[in-house]
Amino acid sequence: MTDAPLTLNINGQDRRLGAVPDAERLLDTLRWRAGLKGTKEGCRTGDCGACTVLVGGEPTLSCLLLSREVTDEPITTIEGVATVPIGRAVIKAFAEAGAVQCGYCTPGFVVALAAQLGRSTTRPDVETLIDGLEGNLCRCTGYRAIERAVELARKAVP
Amino acid sequence: MSGPFAHRKAINRRPVGVCVSFQLVQPATPDEAVGLLAKAPAGEISVLGGGTDLLFDIDQGRASPRQVLSLRKLPWRYARWEGATLVVGSTLPLRALEMDRRVQQQLPGLWEAIRDVGSPALRSRATLGGNVGRCAPASDLLPMLIALDARVRILGPSGVREHPIDLVLQESRKTSLGPAELIESIIFPSAAPSCYVWQRVQPVNDISQVGVATAFLPDAPHWRIALGGLQPRARRLSEAEAVLRSARPTHLEQELAAQEAARRAEFVTDRRATESYRRRLVAVMVRRALQTTVERMPGPRGPRKAAR
Repeated sequence: MTDAPLTLNINGQDRRLGAVPDAERLLDTLRWRAGLKGTKEGCRTGDCGACTVLVGGEPTLSCLLLSREVTDEPITTIEGVATVPIGRAVIKAFAEAGAVQCGYCTPGFVVALAAQLGRSTTRPDVETLIDGLEGNLCRCTGYRAIERAVELARKAVP
Repeated sequence: MSGPFAHRKAINRRPVGVCVSFQLVQPATPDEAVGLLAKAPAGEISVLGGGTDLLFDIDQGRASPRQVLSLRKLPWRYARWEGATLVVGSTLPLRALEMDRRVQQQLPGLWEAIRDVGSPALRSRATLGGNVGRCAPASDLLPMLIALDARVRILGPSGVREHPIDLVLQESRKTSLGPAELIESIIFPSAAPSCYVWQRVQPVNDISQVGVATAFLPDAPHWRIALGGLQPRARRLSEAEAVLRSARPTHLEQELAAQEAARRAEFVTDRRATESYRRRLVAVMVRRALQTTVERMPGPRGPRKAAR
């Protein structure tokens, strides 16, 4: 089973990724095989949220996920999020609010926030959106700027 | 090419953190899964639910299975109501229960406990079955499952059996499941006013020092108080429950139950908190949880005044 080639649907494309070992995490597959280095490795224990990607539209920690378990679900990384209008609006809001310092945690925040804004038929309030980011840690900004970015993003997304 | 470092070469010396190797098996039917478990030599196969614990354990070197059996393809990702009874498939992500309005309304304590597990992205993988199978002493879910008289349906080579959660849990990483048995579903027999409160150093992404689950069940004896953060596992405190004699206990009764809970709980000192600190926490938390449970009961709000 280990040698069977793996194909994953990443950012709307079927990507053939070769003989991915059974034990390989989605995080490593994305970064080192698919070349999508926007997704970051932080703690690798499920605490920091830096590796957040969308699996079937839901924010998921790619460090605690085996690549071979998600063959039947579409995967969206920060690179994919950045190409859709909601993702672009969120990235712009982060830039305008100065919510990026070292930037390592930012892809995780953007993915998690864009997923919330994209899913909701009713506009969730800022509190709810911030609650949805509780699994994303940032060691630089002190979160105030990120909270401002959430407010800006909420205004920007119709 | 073989051995534990085989895949390192395969991915061109890329800096993958930990060099582990195992074979992943993903059975499509429950019978196939049980068959694979029965065939595997003892200790060589691990069952993967959401993976939030097992993959971490593998990284840390606490587990090194040769085979990992994923439950992901099994048809157990469901939650259905049968009257007032909620049946949850063991591999349903917690996130799905959290989004379920009816769970929030009818089992508010369970909903709260679910919301207190990790982060939203973690909950999109973590499962109820995994929490039961892992039997972590500090789990936020297990006290609530105990307080709600949850039952566990277990599938094995000789068929299905169903047990109260209390008989399934044993100690950390140990349950009464046989080597070839799997948790199929968790059954919550009835809707119940309930509440879950916890104390941690950090509000999210931390492990609770103490968790208190209270529930008022439709059948007598109605009250349930269960604690997490105990060794070897979460447990009911019948002595404290016995203090509560009515559906709307007085403040005095609530206080007495809280004190009884603090006296009876078998806490230990570990790196998260000392025994005496935990006792003081519980005395306050049980009172709050009971008060909230009473407020959540249908009908006139709030506990009745103490008779003078």
